[in-house]
Amino acid sequence: MGNLIEHIGIERERIHFSWISSAEATKFVDVVKDITEKVRALGPNEKFKKIYN
Amino acid sequence: MLTLSELIDVKGEKGNFEIDILKKPRYVDLDLCIGCGACAEKCPGKADDEYNEDLVKRKSVYVEYAQAVPLKYRIDPETCLKLTKDKCGNCEEACPTSAINFDDKEETVTIKTGSIILSPGYKPFDPSQFDNYQYSNYPNVVTAMEFERILSATGPTMGHITTMPKVPVNPKKKKDKELAAYRKDPKKIAWFQCVGSRDINKCDNAHCSSVCCMYAVKEAIISKEHAGDELDCSIFFMDMRTPGKDFEKYYNNAQEKHGINFIRSRVHSVTEVPGTHDLEVVYADEAGEIQKEIYDMVVLSVGLEIPEETRNLAEKLNIEMSPGGFCNTSTFDPVSSSVDGIYVAGAFNRPQDIPQSVLDASAAASAAGDDLSPARNTLTKKLEEVPRINVVGERPRIGVFICDCGSNIKGVVDCAHVTEYAKTLPYVEFADEPMFACSQDTQDKMVEYIKEKNLNRIVVAACTPKTHEPLFQETLENAGLNKYLFEMTNIRNHDSWVHKNNPDMATKKAKDLVRMAVSKAALSEPLKEEKIPMDERVMVVGGGMAGISAARSLSAQGYEVHIIEKQDRLGGEALKLHKTPKGEDIQKKLKSIAEDVNANDNIKVHLNTTIESTDGFVGNFKSRITENGDSSEIEYGAAVLATGATAHEPDEYGFGMDDRVVTSLDLDRMLIENSAELDKMNSATFIQCVGSRDTNRPYCSKICCTHSVHNAIELKTRKPDMDVFILYRDIRTYGENELLYKQARDLGVIFIRYDLENKPDVRTENGSLVIKARDHVLGQPLEIESDLLVLATAIVPRKDEKLANFFKVPLNEEGFFVEKHAKLGPAEFATDGVFICGSGHYPKPLDEAITQGKAAASRALTLLGKKDNLFTSGTVALVDQEKCSSCGVCVAICPYSAPSFLEEGRYSGKAEINPVLCKGCGLCVASCRSGALHLKGFNTDQIFSQIFALDEVV
Amino acid sequence: MPDKDIKIVSFLCNWCSYGAADLAGVSRLEYPADIRVIRIPCSGRMSPKFVLSAFREGADAVWVSG
Repeated sequence: MGNLIEHIGIERERIHFSWISSAEATKFVDVVKDITEKVRALGPNEKFKKIYN
Repeated sequence: MLTLSELIDVKGEKGNFEIDILKKPRYVDLDLCIGCGACAEKCPGKADDEYNEDLVKRKSVYVEYAQAVPLKYRIDPETCLKLTKDKCGNCEEACPTSAINFDDKEETVTIKTGSIILSPGYKPFDPSQFDNYQYSNYPNVVTAMEFERILSATGPTMGHITTMPKVPVNPKKKKDKELAAYRKDPKKIAWFQCVGSRDINKCDNAHCSSVCCMYAVKEAIISKEHAGDELDCSIFFMDMRTPGKDFEKYYNNAQEKHGINFIRSRVHSVTEVPGTHDLEVVYADEAGEIQKEIYDMVVLSVGLEIPEETRNLAEKLNIEMSPGGFCNTSTFDPVSSSVDGIYVAGAFNRPQDIPQSVLDASAAASAAGDDLSPARNTLTKKLEEVPRINVVGERPRIGVFICDCGSNIKGVVDCAHVTEYAKTLPYVEFADEPMFACSQDTQDKMVEYIKEKNLNRIVVAACTPKTHEPLFQETLENAGLNKYLFEMTNIRNHDSWVHKNNPDMATKKAKDLVRMAVSKAALSEPLKEEKIPMDERVMVVGGGMAGISAARSLSAQGYEVHIIEKQDRLGGEALKLHKTPKGEDIQKKLKSIAEDVNANDNIKVHLNTTIESTDGFVGNFKSRITENGDSSEIEYGAAVLATGATAHEPDEYGFGMDDRVVTSLDLDRMLIENSAELDKMNSATFIQCVGSRDTNRPYCSKICCTHSVHNAIELKTRKPDMDVFILYRDIRTYGENELLYKQARDLGVIFIRYDLENKPDVRTENGSLVIKARDHVLGQPLEIESDLLVLATAIVPRKDEKLANFFKVPLNEEGFFVEKHAKLGPAEFATDGVFICGSGHYPKPLDEAITQGKAAASRALTLLGKKDNLFTSGTVALVDQEKCSSCGVCVAICPYSAPSFLEEGRYSGKAEINPVLCKGCGLCVASCRSGALHLKGFNTDQIFSQIFALDEVV
Repeated sequence: MPDKDIKIVSFLCNWCSYGAADLAGVSRLEYPADIRVIRIPCSGRMSPKFVLSAFREGADAVWVSG
């Protein structure tokens, strides 16, 4: 999947996979924070987007 | 469910008990409390948090932990300011539903029942009475229960391990502040096993607590996962007892993969290193040498014991107890107390772990149900059905309900704005903002709105669908709508509660979520739940003790059972056993049980029978069997696999070469026959772990230690001057079997430990049988001349792949069946309608096999009891055969064997889904290359619609 | 370009991560509000199509969690 999105020109850091059990609320939050931080650093995605005119 | 209640007294007898229960005040109305926590937020009261082992504080109004059932608050009357000093009352003001009731009073209620199940549990041993571990004085000595909380992500340190765990995070007292300065990340942690177990010198607990070895290994592994590989973990133990399923592998992994040190030793004392709070551990190693080592923290693996209150209660009810205060049960009725009609489950039965307790619980439920069988369904009421409105082909008319949840959502999200916004979305006819969407009056109103406004799709934005979806779906059905025309989105747990400090973003997010839900709802279709026809007969495969117990429980509750046994008599491996560790005569008991089964009209026993083929699924199985050479077919709705295991045939220690070398079962046979040979012998030696716990069979066979120890006692009792030796690796007489181990030592049985690297050597010298080993204490070689050598052979699974294929159930590497869930589903398979019990699951002693047999029956009964309302789910996969390319990926990929190829008709060769087997996971849908598979309720276009609704311009 | 909010589309398994998200709520843990949750019955339901389409529809990132 990572390869595919790279292929179409999207940064690999824009896709994340994780496994969290239903009891791991803290892990969930950690992952959300981590992903958000990374994506905010990348800024908005401008590629492969449908353009509304 | 009665919470905060205590059993006071029981009158009457089986079938007609009167139970007095003391209901303590909760001060919060269970029906009104919505678990929002507004009360706790405003509560100034503080108390030790028992759930976190008093390591942190909680409020006076609280729920014990986030997963508590019911998730309702309570007020602790001892610390509440209103109740103690008549001050405060903040919670009353904060509560949005007026659930607080300070006038709540204690009351006694009397209920009538036919049977009683006692599961009062245990209490962890309190180590403060031991002066050598200094638990009360040293801040770095903790109990395993405290450490469990420290490791937990929801615990006081969020899973971060630090020393000084008992000192508050923000210390206020001077002494705590001083100690907190020493706080550090530990580099070395030690666990001490058997604290309050296997000990009659410093405490009165002679029993082994059964669970501590495993939990210590687990805690050590998790510690390393949390703190990194450099953390040094050492477990000080006497015998490592990991006899449960897959436990031995876990232990091996702990040593080999995780590098945890296991130190066979006796701990003498712990002292603080002056100037630090590090701990010097003084212990005697296996050779008796005194060793010293410094650790940052010590965890005491405290045992399980029965609290005084439970013992008093048991005494009051005339329930017989063992010396350790556990409930006395017999091997053949392992969940029945000495009082008829009172059953027992969990740690009060015996010290045991989660899977065993779960099995106990199921078994007790079926045993208790046997008594109630005649009264079944006498108190049930039938629900009225509302005629369904057909909405197919209609334009969607969506009703949206934005729940305030008191202030839980409204306090953060601008619900009025979201509601107004919802009205502007496509297909939305109506939007409302109830204060509590889940309240009964809102439900009634919702039904009215649906009828009045002719709504045909409903969206609720509130809390989580995982708890509340069924409630709203019921409301839809009451209004005549199909329950799948409903969509729920979570603006509480996923929004208001987690973005408290960002109301603008939270409102925006709520709008997005509502828009996504609305667009998905517009595409929802009414789905049909197919009724599953249920054959009420059950087939039990295997006529050993586990299978027989399952069959008897099922028949007692009025179900017809077929037992399939390949031998010519019932009893299985138990036919070869002499006595139970409790001293019961197995053959005598087996005979009466077999007679009872043969006389039972509900049980049809098929001897000399094998299964040739099996088809079908839950409710509708069909097997072809060959009975005494004749072929026939039986139909049934559920199957219990109780095929057992067999004894390993040894190829070492001179077995087969010297007649004096026998297996455990041979010795049992001699004991059953009361063989005169035994009286001629002057010495006997047992070698343990023959074929177990080695590279070929890396599992522990669980029963052999107790078996050999018990047989050693038999020999010693028959002939007290006989020399009896047991060569072992770890003695695993778990639970109260430990008392037998002690008895054997008292009778003079000599125990000699050996390692896998130094196995005993057996040879015949000048006609005598000589066993050479190494004395584990002196380190000297020793020779034993013995008249008899008993090999405690491994228990080997049948590895019945054919049977596994018939029922589509998995086998593990070793060839044992794999249950649905190691802890929570230990008597059933992931395949619906197929259950498991006995040694085919894992080697186990008779009482545990019988418990599991009853538990399997109990699980089957739960299924059979649903006869008239067993439906498939509506959210299952469906094949569009026009598009199907017959590639077979779905057939191969499905974990539940739901897809198969059609064999006849127009679409022969194409895939189809059996909705009964389908769990709706969507794996096949994602894997289908032709786009032929659809998942109803989570269809591709529905998920797309949510994605499309992501970024709509507002 | 104007400062735009980030949107992270999360596909959460009903039985695992969705439950964890619920529990995070019950525990009142705070986290950034950039994620939008789509509940799926199982992570096996995921398909590359969904990821691509999410990006196409303006997602700044996609998160799949079982």
